[in-house]
Amino acid sequence: MTPPARLNASASSPCRLRTRFVLRFLKTLVKIKRSTPPPPSPSLSLTSSPEKIGRHSQRIKLAAYSSMARAVGQRRAWSRALMLKLKLSDKRKNRYRWLAARKMKQQKTLRRGCGRILATKRNRSEKGSPSRSCSGVDELRRLVPGGEAMDLGVLLEETAHFVRCLETQVRVMSIIADCFP
Amino acid sequence: MSSRRSRSRQSPGSSRITEDQIADLVSKLQRLIPEIRNRHSDRVSASKVLQETCNYIRSLHREVDDLSERLTELLASSDTDSDQAAIIRSLLM
Repeated sequence: MTPPARLNASASSPCRLRTRFVLRFLKTLVKIKRSTPPPPSPSLSLTSSPEKIGRHSQRIKLAAYSSMARAVGQRRAWSRALMLKLKLSDKRKNRYRWLAARKMKQQKTLRRGCGRILATKRNRSEKGSPSRSCSGVDELRRLVPGGEAMDLGVLLEETAHFVRCLETQVRVMSIIADCFP
Repeated sequence: MSSRRSRSRQSPGSSRITEDQIADLVSKLQRLIPEIRNRHSDRVSASKVLQETCNYIRSLHREVDDLSERLTELLASSDTDSDQAAIIRSLLM
């Protein structure tokens, strides 16, 4: 009768979700680590340009969101929307610009929900925080991937799951960061 | 009888969600948001819950940004191979 039953069934094993996320994220981190050449001398690593750091940090951030979305899989609307958005953004960088542009037009509603995730810190500060008088629901639709296309009930359920996954993601990332000496 | 096809936003299969269900979902969200949970107050309006949820999601995004920067610096400066086993063990136990 109550939605929570369905929600619990889909998120029935938060530990398994966390495990899936951890494994994917660590794999991606190792890949990123291997693909970035080590600095010739330790002192140079401290003077790497802020742009480089920003680029790497953006890669790690996207790896985190993508690992979480893939760990959740097709079960949730927000993860589907996020995976699609990340895939389109990736393809656009490589080859299929025209196709992506067409799809982007069709998926315009997904864009806004994922915009915050794809924005770099620089872009974020440039955009600033515009003062809008929107209702809480509109704001929530912008924050949750794919939120603009959802009914209110679905939006609230997806938000709950999205928030729990984000918390897991933050917890895992801080554990990893603390593990380094 | 003329069959009128009115374009409604909702798909024909989905039932209209009741206010009770929405209230249920809002209270579930309320339990997730630490700001509201810690106040031990049951009387929080739905708009306040939504507002706090938005703030909470934004703060989580900021934390992810900061952690990514931290991880970038740590990855660049240390040797991960020896730490991997320790990290995995601590995360999966």
